[in-house]
Amino acid sequence: MSPFFQAEKSTSETDMPIPTSISNRLEINIEQMKELFSFKVNKDFSYRSFVIHFNKKQATIFYYSSIVNGDKINETILKPLLEEDGRDLSNIITIENLLVLNDYKQIIKHINSGKAVLFVDGDSSVYSLDVADFQHRVITKAENESVIKGPQDAFTESLNVNLSLIRKQMHDRQLISEGMQVGVRSKSEINLLYVKDLVNEEILNNVKKRIEDISVDSIRNVELLEQYLEERPYSIVPTILYTERPDKATAYLEDGFIVILMDTSSACLIVPVTFWSFFHSPEDNYLRYLYGNFSRMIRLLCFYLTTMISATYVAISNFHSEMIPPDLLLAITASREYVPFPLIFEVLIMEIAFEIIREAGIRIPNPLGPTIGIVGALILGQAAVEANIISPIIVIIAALSGLSSFAISDININFTVRLTKFIFILAAGLFGMLALIGVFLLWFMYLASIKSFGVSFFAPLSPHFKSANDTFFRKAIKKQIFRPGQIKPQDMTKRPKDSN
Amino acid sequence: MLNNGSLKTREIVAILSLFLGMKLADSTPSLLAQKSQNGFWLVPILSFFILLPSFLLIMYLLKKYKDKNLIELMEAILGKWFGKALGLLFFTFVFLSLSLDSRNYVEQIKILYFPESPTKVIFFIFIGIAFFGAKKGIEVIGYTSWIAFPLIKFSVTLVFLLIFGKIIIQRIFPIFGSGIDILMLEGLQKASIFSEIFIILIAYTATKETKKFRHGVYLGSIFAFLEIILFYFIYTTVFDYNSIQKVAFPFHDITQYIQFGEFFTNIETIFMVFWLFAAYLRFIIFLYLITMIFGAIFEIKKFEPLLLPFSFLSIMIGLLPLNSISNELFLRETLFMIMSPFLILLPVLLWIVALSKGELRS
Repeated sequence: MSPFFQAEKSTSETDMPIPTSISNRLEINIEQMKELFSFKVNKDFSYRSFVIHFNKKQATIFYYSSIVNGDKINETILKPLLEEDGRDLSNIITIENLLVLNDYKQIIKHINSGKAVLFVDGDSSVYSLDVADFQHRVITKAENESVIKGPQDAFTESLNVNLSLIRKQMHDRQLISEGMQVGVRSKSEINLLYVKDLVNEEILNNVKKRIEDISVDSIRNVELLEQYLEERPYSIVPTILYTERPDKATAYLEDGFIVILMDTSSACLIVPVTFWSFFHSPEDNYLRYLYGNFSRMIRLLCFYLTTMISATYVAISNFHSEMIPPDLLLAITASREYVPFPLIFEVLIMEIAFEIIREAGIRIPNPLGPTIGIVGALILGQAAVEANIISPIIVIIAALSGLSSFAISDININFTVRLTKFIFILAAGLFGMLALIGVFLLWFMYLASIKSFGVSFFAPLSPHFKSANDTFFRKAIKKQIFRPGQIKPQDMTKRPKDSN
Repeated sequence: MLNNGSLKTREIVAILSLFLGMKLADSTPSLLAQKSQNGFWLVPILSFFILLPSFLLIMYLLKKYKDKNLIELMEAILGKWFGKALGLLFFTFVFLSLSLDSRNYVEQIKILYFPESPTKVIFFIFIGIAFFGAKKGIEVIGYTSWIAFPLIKFSVTLVFLLIFGKIIIQRIFPIFGSGIDILMLEGLQKASIFSEIFIILIAYTATKETKKFRHGVYLGSIFAFLEIILFYFIYTTVFDYNSIQKVAFPFHDITQYIQFGEFFTNIETIFMVFWLFAAYLRFIIFLYLITMIFGAIFEIKKFEPLLLPFSFLSIMIGLLPLNSISNELFLRETLFMIMSPFLILLPVLLWIVALSKGELRS
């Protein structure tokens, strides 16, 4: 065996040990590369050998043909090397990004991430040329977090594009995009975005440490990363914000938050978060003061309606019917006259039916979409009432609670709210207002006890911090002077310092 | 765990005014009205001013002895064993008042809203929820109190506004009710209706700077005091001397009197929601502080696991009285009467000992 095949204890992906050093004989290198990347069976692993024009040396270039830009290789590498004269390689190759590598581990990493690697005979250093061209979707409209007034673009599955979307909105030399790697078998790039002179170092280090501590073969996207990063995987409450909107991400960056991007997700993660991050929508700030706050008020009402209306109805009509005005009580009783089920059962049927429509609606193939409407509206709504399975009032209640849940656009908190609804209904069915209020209080206290990267969930309301007080309602834009104090940014005020 | 310093004045104000302010909406007013009749709204004023010198004295001592809670202060002044013994006595009083109070609240809930449910079940649900809430620790209790505070006080204000039309001022006459001597005696005997301002001192080191705690306690107690007086005044002027003795739960009775326009005539459940919320919070605070007192006496740093046995014990003791009448009119009253001299004299004793030891000069 040649010395290059000396075994090395490695956690690498191939059964074959990775050679420690690069030979200066080209043919040995070619053999090793072929073996490393299983050239015979691996169809898109390609190489091309040629003679460099200016020094007449033999050279070979390796790459995955599926993830590089062929034209670019041709125009910026092969053509100059074959035709041009010059002093050395870096003066001939016209590509913008050229690195010198010294060992096989790096070579493997670079080839996997879409670089072309150039070996030259008689040279033990290797040139990595950035010709990566991963395929991705074009930028489209934000579909899950839509706004009427405000930028419409959304992240797409490309780190560079996403970065460009953010940098377009934030021209600040302090905006850092720091790369980290995660995964042992498949190394994925994670980008931490933060504003260097705003971010709280402690939180930043905490995030970095958590990413470094992840020990797993691969993490494909931020959706999975989110679950590796969070403290309480079993909790009903999310502690990381997930958004597909670059403007939202930028707004958080400006306040000193940290944004996490990956190459494979059309969304980003934002940490640390509070309850308010889930409650707010970027549009609140785009709309004028009064309109934005009105929209927040409606959303707050929706929070209440989604979680509580069914439970309140169960509690009041089962245990506290004296509080319903007599006429209304008679109407409810009359409508329930022919219904055989207990009230809580009726409510549960309708709520679960709504959840089914919702889940099916997401999974259903697009061409079949309209079926959901027909089945949902006709069968569950009208027919169930006519068959005296459920009373019409329940349909109204369930529809109201279902509809309100759509006003809560963040998918994580949406699930929280929907699950909470069922807890509350069961509590109300058990012991009326006594249990409902008790369970609500416990749920609320649980939320208050949650911390996301050390930040309390209801901050800055309580515990109180100096901030723009952007909680239930927001101030006028001109009055929003402070950054959120709960994350302790390095610079609290959003105004230029007098001295500058 | 305890002292991360994120509690500030506002949280202490909220905790204390929920803890103490609930006295306006339970059966304490009817207890006071038994003897003093329609002059009973003056009793808390007298009680407060009787208790005030003692309270100020103990606040002064706490300030002098820096960063010690109530029990630690007692030990520092009176010596380890005597301090602990007095602490244990204090704990016993407070624990009994937790048990009797909780029975009282459970009876209110049962009589008013769940007449057919067994007391035990309501008791277990009520204390069970208080237990899980208390488990979350003083910081979360503080945050929750502060967020709930405006809502609860809003509902109280609403009751005040809606009942306003039913007040007949002339009903406060005769102004001293059954006589000024009875009133004075009642004020002295029932001084411990403000025992909460002593109980909360166990959490003296819960804020980063004790100055914030002191401010919180002062503001909170003044707020709760004014609120209590206002509502006792309303009870007097709405019910008059004859019926006030017979009304067991004046707050709930008042909510049954009021209506919101012509359509919403029975809105008491709305107030019951806020009342329950406040009641739960009160017992969460109560349970936590009591366990904290116990932890301080026996120097148990991690006292939170004790919450469960104490919750259970309070249910068991709370279930002992045969009925709510004997609980309310006999046991609670007796407890008040025993506790009052203790609370009045304890700070004086501490002060005299501290003074004679010469520790106050430094």
